[in-house]
Amino acid sequence: MSGAIQTIAEAARVIAAKQLSPVELTRACLDRVHKLDGELHAFVYLSEERALAEARAAEAAIMADGPKGPLHGIPIGLKDIVDTKGIPTTCQSRFLQDNIPDTDAACAEKLAAAGTVLIGKTTTHEFADGGPSFDLPAPPARNPWNTEHFTAGSSSGTGAGVAAGLILGGIGTDTGGSIRGPAALCGIAGIKPTYGLVSRAGVAPAAFSLDHIGPMAWTAEDCALMLQALAGHDPRDPASASRPIPDYTSQLGSGIKGLKIGVIHHFHETDHKVSDGTQHGITGAIATFRDLGAEIREVQLSPLQDWLACGSLISITERAAAYEEWVRTRLGDFSERLGSRLMLGSFVTGVDYVQAVRRRRELRAELQAAMRGLDVVLTATQPMEAAKIDAVPKWDLFAAPNFTMPFNVSGYPAISVCAGFGAGGLPVAIQLVGKPFQEPTVLRVADAFEKATPFRNRRPALATA
Amino acid sequence: MPEIKDEAFEFLLARAGLSLTDEQKAELKSVYAGIAAMAERVRQPRGYMAEPAHIYDFAEEDLT
Repeated sequence: MSGAIQTIAEAARVIAAKQLSPVELTRACLDRVHKLDGELHAFVYLSEERALAEARAAEAAIMADGPKGPLHGIPIGLKDIVDTKGIPTTCQSRFLQDNIPDTDAACAEKLAAAGTVLIGKTTTHEFADGGPSFDLPAPPARNPWNTEHFTAGSSSGTGAGVAAGLILGGIGTDTGGSIRGPAALCGIAGIKPTYGLVSRAGVAPAAFSLDHIGPMAWTAEDCALMLQALAGHDPRDPASASRPIPDYTSQLGSGIKGLKIGVIHHFHETDHKVSDGTQHGITGAIATFRDLGAEIREVQLSPLQDWLACGSLISITERAAAYEEWVRTRLGDFSERLGSRLMLGSFVTGVDYVQAVRRRRELRAELQAAMRGLDVVLTATQPMEAAKIDAVPKWDLFAAPNFTMPFNVSGYPAISVCAGFGAGGLPVAIQLVGKPFQEPTVLRVADAFEKATPFRNRRPALATA
Repeated sequence: MPEIKDEAFEFLLARAGLSLTDEQKAELKSVYAGIAAMAERVRQPRGYMAEPAHIYDFAEEDLT
């Protein structure tokens, strides 16, 4: 039982039935890490002894009193920009190679309280830059579906680790797509919650007003289970929302008959035409939703390029401000890729920034109006299957607009789920976007799609060999 | 988008407090047009009353 890769939901069921020990499950994950991570580079730090101690403690507690929830005894990873008490948090930067925080980030604290087992810190690019970077203290993560290919960034290690079964879930962060991009290219699920739903406290910033923390896992259901533990008000995060937290699993399995799904065709058909494989995935998803009883409608927004310009200006400027002291005094210690972006961000004028923030209000109002009467909207997550890792241009920021930034600009919740396999057998994905704090609906639609399609039955060959 | 003039580029460098190599300067100059184009794109005929997104109000707890 323990050797087979499982979802969080499945593992929780067998753990609760005392048919699987968290120690067995943790050992199985660690065995896979030892077998595969030399090739995948999903981890920058392995907390093996701590993981086994946590697993043993979970086992004892479950045997005595039963599990305290579905995450009790579940092996996870935390992106290496998430502070972890007593465990190195390097942000993949030369600036923080010796950084051992004395407190946990809010998300780490909450997952620990839910009983998770921390396998280790997962690979990212410096301070959550999109990457890939090859001049960092540790190499970039590789895509488990084909290790010559990129995972997307910056939650690369979490994406690769979940897809390969090294962990059952993990934390990603998303400033312009860093949860949803790796989820898409690694063929897993990843949700960027509504801005303010999950505390940013203790997580290194990329861009304060665009940063989101969220779960990545094999399925939308697993994301729901993790989000339940993560969501909630935190006074340490000035953007934290103070709202009642619903049951994120309550709508799963209730079908989507009568729900209204808007498709932003022009994003992926005109503004940035996607690959044949991705288009096939989107077309198939629309047909699936129709078969499940949803109503499909057309949605028109400003061109993708407008959203990207707004989000990128804000992102690049806020990041340059956050790291300005080091940019001015130790520029050469940054990776080439991030250093160049920070320099460029330093050139954005105050007026440019405010114009971008004014544009942000307009774009958000536009999305709000477009979603009136709809439950979710759908577009691509990534333009194509994963590129070869050495073929990603350094200045991809200007190469083509991405599909994820609009929902960082708006702060709306968005999930990426696998929608099939394209060129080279690499995953393709769709992105589903909901109204603010309507994660239960987003997860309901994503879960219905996963259960109506066969894509969750296939793991990377490397992981199942 | 026209290429940025040397004087303007040097001003931006000085304003940002950056001291760069010639190679770094050449690369930044080559991509500057991309960010300038984005800065143009966010400018809309919106008038002076249009508010930015980060205007805020005070919560109850701020008042006690």
